[in-house]
Amino acid sequence: MLGDRTATLETLRQKITALETNPMLREADNLSAGSGLLATSRGSVHEVFADTLMESGAALGFALAQAKSLLEPGRLAILFLQLQSDALEMGLPYGLGLRSFGLDPDRVILIRPQTIVELLWAIEEAVACRAVAAVVADIVHPHKALDFTASRRLALRTAASGASVYLVRYARDREASAARFRWKITPQLSRSPPFDDRAPGPPRWRVRLEKGSLGRRRKADLESDGFLVDWTDNGFVLADIDGREDAGAARVAALSDAAFAALGDRLSEAG
Amino acid sequence: MLHLPRWATDCLKRADPALAASARPLALWEKQKGAMRIVALDLAASAEGLFAGQSVSDARALVPHLEVREIDPAATAQIFADFADWHSNASPVVSVVIDHMSYGDLCLDITGVSHLFSGEAAMLAQLTSRLSALGFSVEGAIASTIGAAWALVRYSPGKIVAEGDEGKALHSLPVAALRLTEKQIDGLTHLGLKRVGQLYERDRKSLQARFGVSFLLRLDQALGWVEENLKPRLPLAEYFAEHRFADPIGLIDDVLMCAHDLAVQLALRLEREGVGAQAFHLFLYRVDHKVMTLSVNAARATRDAQHISRLFSYRAERLGGEYDAGFGIDMVRLAASSISPLDATQIGAFGTDSGAASLDHLYDRMTSRLGQLAVVQSTFVNTHIPEQAVKLEPVIAAASKPAIAVPDVTAQRPLRLLPHPEPIIVIAEVPDAPPARMVWRRVSYRFVKSSGPERIAAEWQNAGQKLSLTAETAKAAGTSDNMVSYFEEGETSRDYYIAEDDGGRRFWLFRIGLFGVASEPRWFLQGFFS
Repeated sequence: MLGDRTATLETLRQKITALETNPMLREADNLSAGSGLLATSRGSVHEVFADTLMESGAALGFALAQAKSLLEPGRLAILFLQLQSDALEMGLPYGLGLRSFGLDPDRVILIRPQTIVELLWAIEEAVACRAVAAVVADIVHPHKALDFTASRRLALRTAASGASVYLVRYARDREASAARFRWKITPQLSRSPPFDDRAPGPPRWRVRLEKGSLGRRRKADLESDGFLVDWTDNGFVLADIDGREDAGAARVAALSDAAFAALGDRLSEAG
Repeated sequence: MLHLPRWATDCLKRADPALAASARPLALWEKQKGAMRIVALDLAASAEGLFAGQSVSDARALVPHLEVREIDPAATAQIFADFADWHSNASPVVSVVIDHMSYGDLCLDITGVSHLFSGEAAMLAQLTSRLSALGFSVEGAIASTIGAAWALVRYSPGKIVAEGDEGKALHSLPVAALRLTEKQIDGLTHLGLKRVGQLYERDRKSLQARFGVSFLLRLDQALGWVEENLKPRLPLAEYFAEHRFADPIGLIDDVLMCAHDLAVQLALRLEREGVGAQAFHLFLYRVDHKVMTLSVNAARATRDAQHISRLFSYRAERLGGEYDAGFGIDMVRLAASSISPLDATQIGAFGTDSGAASLDHLYDRMTSRLGQLAVVQSTFVNTHIPEQAVKLEPVIAAASKPAIAVPDVTAQRPLRLLPHPEPIIVIAEVPDAPPARMVWRRVSYRFVKSSGPERIAAEWQNAGQKLSLTAETAKAAGTSDNMVSYFEEGETSRDYYIAEDDGGRRFWLFRIGLFGVASEPRWFLQGFFS
């Protein structure tokens, strides 16, 4: 009974936030993405910050992980944008690497504009297409053209269309922007797999939400020290903090309803 | 065939009005065998009795007020090529005949075209008068072979010769009309063979023995016994639509509007034939004899007029300052190429929209705005060498993609790969312990965790090839050929490690060469994990 009421309140709250932040939104119902950990609504601009270029892998990984959750039958592609000059310095997404990350390489299209103006144009054009799930733009250096006005423009476009935009940035100081979410990603020492102490395990990141809100959930956590999450085949999983082994519980929480049903079936058959 | 005997001087005069206004005769010279020889003359200079091949000092002595300039053959030929392209508004097949000179002879294939100009004679008159009104000295002739037309235009201009009459028409012309070399002409005159007609009855074997095969070939080509084909300058388009303007237009918006109208016409034709096209070209004919070409490509065959015109408007945006209408555009032609059958599709009702079509349209628009290689996708190559296993290719429609064997790699691969492996300094225990420290781009990293090695050997099936991994190894292989050159297992095998530093950053690095076997193992950084 109590659970019902909180659930209703929660959905209502989400609707209100969606209406408040997306003035052009008509049907908020269609836009709530999957119910994973750290899931956000569709049609918003995110900034993903890493401190330095050395941490580019983690920031890109987080953005692609978020983008992956937005793929669905009607929305087929993730567009990755990078300036041609930056590709020489930072490297390009690698097809086989995308596959071992858990993404279908066919779904990821690389777009390599020459100037930042072309890049912003390409984001807008991509967002306008209704078959694009998410746009991930890797912007290595700060640019004058990418200012508050530009981000406001993007925010309005994304709200109207329903595709999300992830701007991956590398800096310690923050500029004013109209992005609805701002994430700060720091790579952390991973937990070794149980069979080998010296080997690295699944990627582990500290995720701090500097701006925006995921609703009631763990607001305090995100604003203070952030989540410590692992990226696994099942999506985001809360890492065990302070050596506590509660990762198992979190892993169950991250499973989908279908998985529960499957587990239940097997248990009933076994019993 | 149109012949512009004074192209070089006319072209210079058009570019420089002061030169055209002056009454002084003009001659152009070129350095030939160390001497300054005259190669082109204008009408006034010819009237003074000067001729091509004369040395400049002789000519100056004869005509003291002669204006002399050096010729730029490449630029002259280039301008003539543009001028030739512009003539494709009269006939779709236009070529420059360069046997004798790289400019001056323009050949139009008017098969099936002349009726548009109400007959061959009227067409010839219209084309030549149009050019002479612009200040070019021009001669024209029509014949059914290239060789005959070439001869007529020089020695009997204005003539129209029907098929089969070439022999009679060329009978009284000098042998130089046959596109022969200087040496051949000299030889023929020496033998008293001055007219083309004298050659008809001669013994072919002895002529060939004396003057070579090329001589007989030229004769046969002129008389239509051997077929000769034109080399068209612009690609032939089976499907095209065009629009001519009474008054030239200039604004790019007008051009794009016209392109849209043409796209609608073209789409109707393509639909009637049940085909679609993947490449579209827009030719803009300027009144000052230049042609601008805009081309766009589509990921899948299409005949959607809206889409085509949108692609052109994006392509035009990329032009920016390059667009220059000059004095206006008097004709626009839209042509389609890469034709393939495209069946009618049902719209609406029971069809489900998977979104793939709208994605293809998006990629087309991006390609036309950002450039051909800006929108790419990973495709796989069946190899274990990491940097060769994936290549980036322009996005094409999913249906037309061939099935490719994906390399069956089960090990972890990095999310980002550097364009080239970068040499690093690594501290590691000998022989094959994981790396403990590295210095990359002058920053040092300390590794706490690592997994590996994953050994990737050079491919024995490509053993004959030289291995060039990076610019550095290529150089090393070049300088000392016996070092890392051909396939040697110990030298060229790579051991890959995934290493995590104390900040949680993960790198993919490899050592090329095995300890104890290779003379000097080296380390490289190739990628980053998430």
